[in-house]
Amino acid sequence: MSHFSEYKDLIQVGDLALVWISRDNIKPVTITAGETFNTRYGSFPHDDMIGKPYGSQIAVRTKGSNRFGFIHVLQPTPELWTISLPHRTQIVYTPDSSYIMQRLQCSPHSRVIEAGTGSGSFSHAFARSAGHLFSYEFHEVRYEQAKKEFEEHGLFRDGNVTITHRDVCHDGFTIKNTDKTTFFDGKSAEEAQQPACIGADVIFLDLPAPWDAIPNLDCVISQNSKTSMCCFSPCIEQVDKTLEALEKHGWTEVEMVEIQGRQYESRRQMVRHLDDALQRLRDVRERKQVGVERRKRMFNKIISDQEEPYEERPETPKTQFNPFGKGSRVKEGDSNYSWKEVSKVESEIKSHTSYLTFASKIVHKARNEELVQSIIEEHKDVTPESTLPGKKDKKQSVNK
Amino acid sequence: MDPLKHITYYNHVLVRLPSNNLKVCELKPNSDVSLGKFGAFKVNDIIGYPFGTTFEIHYDNAIEASAPDAGPSGDAAQEGTSSKGARNKFKIPVGRLSVIESRLTANAAATGLGSEEEGTPQRELQLVGNSDSNKNLINIGSSIQKLSSEEIEQLKQQSVSSNEIISKMIEAHGSFHQKTVYSQEKYLKRKKQKFAKFFTVEYMSSSGLLQYLIDKGDVLRAMDLSEESMGMILNLANIRSNGTYLCVDETGGLLVYALLERMFGGENDSAAQGKIVVVHENEHPNLDLLKFSNYTEEFIQQHVKTVSILDYFEPPVTEEVKEAFTPLTDEQLKSLKSNKKGAYYRRLKWYNTQLEIIEWATKQQYDGLVVASTLHLPTFVPKLGERVHGSRPIVCYSQFKETVLELSHTLYNDLRYLAPTIVETRCRPFQTIRGRLHPVMTMRGGGGYMMWCHKVIPVGAADAALQPRPEEAPQGAEAESKKQKTE
Repeated sequence: MSHFSEYKDLIQVGDLALVWISRDNIKPVTITAGETFNTRYGSFPHDDMIGKPYGSQIAVRTKGSNRFGFIHVLQPTPELWTISLPHRTQIVYTPDSSYIMQRLQCSPHSRVIEAGTGSGSFSHAFARSAGHLFSYEFHEVRYEQAKKEFEEHGLFRDGNVTITHRDVCHDGFTIKNTDKTTFFDGKSAEEAQQPACIGADVIFLDLPAPWDAIPNLDCVISQNSKTSMCCFSPCIEQVDKTLEALEKHGWTEVEMVEIQGRQYESRRQMVRHLDDALQRLRDVRERKQVGVERRKRMFNKIISDQEEPYEERPETPKTQFNPFGKGSRVKEGDSNYSWKEVSKVESEIKSHTSYLTFASKIVHKARNEELVQSIIEEHKDVTPESTLPGKKDKKQSVNK
Repeated sequence: MDPLKHITYYNHVLVRLPSNNLKVCELKPNSDVSLGKFGAFKVNDIIGYPFGTTFEIHYDNAIEASAPDAGPSGDAAQEGTSSKGARNKFKIPVGRLSVIESRLTANAAATGLGSEEEGTPQRELQLVGNSDSNKNLINIGSSIQKLSSEEIEQLKQQSVSSNEIISKMIEAHGSFHQKTVYSQEKYLKRKKQKFAKFFTVEYMSSSGLLQYLIDKGDVLRAMDLSEESMGMILNLANIRSNGTYLCVDETGGLLVYALLERMFGGENDSAAQGKIVVVHENEHPNLDLLKFSNYTEEFIQQHVKTVSILDYFEPPVTEEVKEAFTPLTDEQLKSLKSNKKGAYYRRLKWYNTQLEIIEWATKQQYDGLVVASTLHLPTFVPKLGERVHGSRPIVCYSQFKETVLELSHTLYNDLRYLAPTIVETRCRPFQTIRGRLHPVMTMRGGGGYMMWCHKVIPVGAADAALQPRPEEAPQGAEAESKKQKTE
């Protein structure tokens, strides 16, 4: 099983782990005995991680100070990988990918085409759920990088992922053994004679010109059941050309949508009551009054020519009433003050990722009359009013 | 025939009506399905077609008159009459079916118009002419339509085709030619939704089931969930076919169904070992919506386990359970009188259930926690989280941001939970017509919020000196805490 698909208990040598330093600093690490993982908070020996359960926090004393640095060692998931991965291209983020998978009904029953692979972020999510993922990448260097990465992540070990170097717009989706592909890895020479049987029912096109790839889909999609697809394009002009191609090639149920994902920080705002604010100003004014009256007396003495007009400046007491901790550093959530829990939208939002154009197609809208007639014949004595056969019997009669 | 791809007997399916509303149907052999004003059809006529196929219902004008015992003959596809025609005169007559290209062509139509060329008005509209603007259009209400609703009803009674009715209505419409072509098209679409007789049979997907609840106005029962939030929950919780998940589901089983679909894809003979342990607040679980699923009883019993919060948090004690009952050996069982066997098996079932509960509540390490509950989350979730394995995700859905906010603050101060984050996702659909692309003017507001975090194992109590206090930010997490607190 892959580093992603197996639920592992303990951190072991050879594992791919994700080290969580902070929310936007997550690093992939291959656990190796004797190695250390260096951060600016300290160096963490891998040996401290090995044998501990996943999710463990690891502490290390930082150099030159008596404080500790902490990291967490996590097992990779497609979602964590998405926020940590090295970008080769613009990636599909979780709000988009999760919606696409849900809407395309991605399940162990699905045969998925993904073009192109790009940074492989979505590939990991598809690989988790799909029966088979056929990923295509036309950029040779990115193909090699993705292939290497999938190998390191163990995705090929689960046997449900293949990647092919291909420009699907020009050369279509059919996979033969003369192609640069992982499809025939581990297959016998005999098996490799036949082109890959794809029969995809879920299509995801993340291409600059999906309209050039759409005409090539017909021979690789499921022939007698419904195929659903999503085109992922950032520009509205691309959507327009895609719609034209979809209509021309018999795709129906066409709908374009846009996903907006938001993240919020949990914050606290100090509760500051009006009465306290008024009281504080009264307090300030009172102390100010002391000074004002002293100066008034001195002025009167000068006017009336009394000797020794100067009056000693009295020791002004510190502000007595300071309900909001003004002038001192108050940490958000300080228990000496009262707080209101608030949420704040992240400071930079992904305001537009891409337009998602969905469509579906059934190549042959027909049924196998012979088979259907035999099934109908078999059920001819069932009267609709009769009680249903138990669910147990049902499956036997249905799975012909 | 694959029951996951083709329309199959005894399965629950979703039927999409011309109004775009969904209806749940169970496909019993030889039965008829009535779609109300949209007509009725025979189940036998749709069996075997791929999911997603759109059918149009046709009525030969004579159909109602001739209804003697034709019987469900072999060639059901051509067979138009109902065998029980005369039995109930209020019954909607069953029509003959034909497969059509798509719902759009059903709309455009049946008037013989395929996909329209850009800019060419539909055929009905070509005859009547239109206006560049609506400046001459004066709203005088329904009196503009010369046909009375009684007359329209009469037309329907005569089984006139929907297109003929619509054409007659356009003819009788006083100011139709003064509408712009866009508004005419909208008028046509509205009328066709009302009079058209076609339907699409869809697989019972989790999204479809949710859409069915939304159409029914029943989505509050499902905590105002949206398709995009449902997908997000499944991905953030890293749901896969080999995991054991702890779940609280106040959506009546929708959430559990979504998990099942993601894990097994509707396959009853899936070899995957995944399991969902559902913790429920009432004495009995409410997974009512699973009745629409096409999983067998056995499958559900094998993969969905239920336990009440009381049993979960105060599980039975193994010794007491073992004291109360000892399973018999095979030989003892053989010698047992048959009238006592029933009682014995009941006790045995109880015994096994108790042991299972002990396993789930005190031994099992879960691969994820998914919560959709209206209980007070800050007290509930940390207790549930105790049995979640390190590094595994926790996702809590709520209809309200405030409740997940409170939860996220609580978890933020608990070292066993890493980086609680509040996320929201909204899908904005567009009117998808070339040259007229724009976001739709109104959409549903639901969808709620999710809290996402990971279970972690803080540096052990033995190294208490190392234990970072949440108040004083430790070095490693400093960057993060800064981001959280100041920013």
